Amino acid sequence: MSVPPQGPQWARPDQPRRQDAPAGGPVPPAPAGQPLRPGQGQQGPGAPAPADGRFAQPAGGGAAQHSAPQFPGAEPPQGAQPPQGAKGAQRKSGQQPPAMLGDEAVAGAAEALRKHSSNRIIDTSSGRADGLNKCPRCGGTDIQYSLTAKALVCAYCRHSWNEENAEKAFGLDTSIAELQGHTMASGTADIQEDLTTMTLKCQGCGAEVVINVEQQLQARCHWCRQTLSINSQIPNGAVPDAVLPFHLTREEAIERIEAFADKRKAFAHPRFKAEFVPDNVMGVYIPYMVVDGNMHAVLQGTGEVTTRQYTVRRKVGKDNYVTETYYDADVYSVQRAFDLLVDDLTVESAERFDAKDNAQATNNILNAVQPYDTENAVAYNSNYLKNFTSERRDLNVRDVDDQVEEKFLAIARAKASPTIGRYDRGVRWEQEGVAVRGTRWVSVYVPVWLYSYADSAKGQDSLTHYIAVNARNGNTMGSVPVSHPKIFALACAAGSVAAVIGAVVGFGWFLAG
Amino acid sequence: MLPLLAEMAADPATGMLLADSDSGAIGIAFPFLAGPAVFIAVYVGIYRYYRNTDKRHHFEKETEVAVGNLKQGDRKVGTNNRQKSRTMSGVNSTDHLERVRRIQVR
Repeated sequence: MSVPPQGPQWARPDQPRRQDAPAGGPVPPAPAGQPLRPGQGQQGPGAPAPADGRFAQPAGGGAAQHSAPQFPGAEPPQGAQPPQGAKGAQRKSGQQPPAMLGDEAVAGAAEALRKHSSNRIIDTSSGRADGLNKCPRCGGTDIQYSLTAKALVCAYCRHSWNEENAEKAFGLDTSIAELQGHTMASGTADIQEDLTTMTLKCQGCGAEVVINVEQQLQARCHWCRQTLSINSQIPNGAVPDAVLPFHLTREEAIERIEAFADKRKAFAHPRFKAEFVPDNVMGVYIPYMVVDGNMHAVLQGTGEVTTRQYTVRRKVGKDNYVTETYYDADVYSVQRAFDLLVDDLTVESAERFDAKDNAQATNNILNAVQPYDTENAVAYNSNYLKNFTSERRDLNVRDVDDQVEEKFLAIARAKASPTIGRYDRGVRWEQEGVAVRGTRWVSVYVPVWLYSYADSAKGQDSLTHYIAVNARNGNTMGSVPVSHPKIFALACAAGSVAAVIGAVVGFGWFLAG
Repeated sequence: MLPLLAEMAADPATGMLLADSDSGAIGIAFPFLAGPAVFIAVYVGIYRYYRNTDKRHHFEKETEVAVGNLKQGDRKVGTNNRQKSRTMSGVNSTDHLERVRRIQVR
């Protein structure tokens, strides 16, 4: 039986490729048993949903027509394709002589092509060449984002404008229910770490200006003083698909940070109080992946319903009796299956801001100031980034897709909660899974006013405490270093008072008893 | 002194001893339980208010999600009688971030 070609590139969604990008290494094949990746488990358009297969046990399911999502420890379905690597090696070794393709092979190739084409790349580049980024009215290049006008403003003609809404401009607002396969905006392309400098040719005077694209995306031409910008989506993660511009002014952010810290002065570390200068707040663009998902989730577990509650009085010791309450319950096998359409799920795409890693810095604070109205993000223009710092994206889609899948499962669990209200003794979920039919990935810069404090006495090993303000809606959260001796003293005092009160009450109880 | 009290409070034998003793004697344990409990509550409460180590974005509740095509398949499999606890063991329906065994879904 001939098998449709399934090279490693079909195991994952294709990454956007650029013409000028050096050839990267081959995409590693996804081993069997690997957690769900985008590209796995997608159902073909028009594939009929199994009417009764939703609650079937994994091993007892029907024949798999298409590649199904693989989960750790799960056996591949009956009829699943053999490992890709082995097949590829077989072909490379020339064991299979080239021959006329039969009908099955042609059909298989067509199927593979259909799957391949379902991984769609949306070009979100501006179309402008690197170099001058001109004002649409006067052609000036001295442009910056004004927080008062909340728009880009030309320093010469005062013309103000905003780039077009990214969702509308690039067709990223199509129905999530219709998502099949994996749609990826071109700004989510794989990162090339070795791209550190670029040479921009000034279209004004012809000079060539070298720019360190790890640090900045704009530079002045040292001859004619025009501003030169990176306008294309260079593959180092510094250029997103869209930018969510700042709305809160610096002064508003300082106010919020001061108010937050003022409430936490009493037990703050003395050095923090001495060194706290909220004026040091910085405007930072932080990269996020924004993911839409069309999926089917299944949860299985056990639930209990109380059928009877009664008390039993039993004798303890000589004359004492103890009354105990008991519960009888019916045990149910609980199963839920439903479709989910997830809109604008965000996930950090800069490793140093990983919300789960708080060893070096209090990254959970940055996570906690969400949500952002990412649907209002505008198409990338380097002038939005001027006068702010921006963190470069250093994680690819394949680096965060496991995390996204876990978030999909968490959402499924949350959405199942209203359907299990009858189980008053609770539900214990034991198995869960999600079949992702389609996803859409967009890289977005979100705005944060960030105050960071690292204890100067502890040197480089000290924990960096953030106080962050969401520059769209003003959500403020922070971490203030504490003075442990002060907290200890207060806790001791409170504990002592409680012990004294307890002694008085206890003594009275003893006398009464 | 305080570690000693905390140790006593944490020792399950203390509770059993008190439960089996006269009800009046329970009163003697009040200061030894209330003191450490308040100490821990104050310490942890202030620390969390300042450091906010538990704060995160509740994406599972705040992300815009549409749910449809719900299918339920519940069936009774047995009984669990004479239980002392009001809730069943291992309840995790409110702990959305806890992952359980993955199954294959088509």
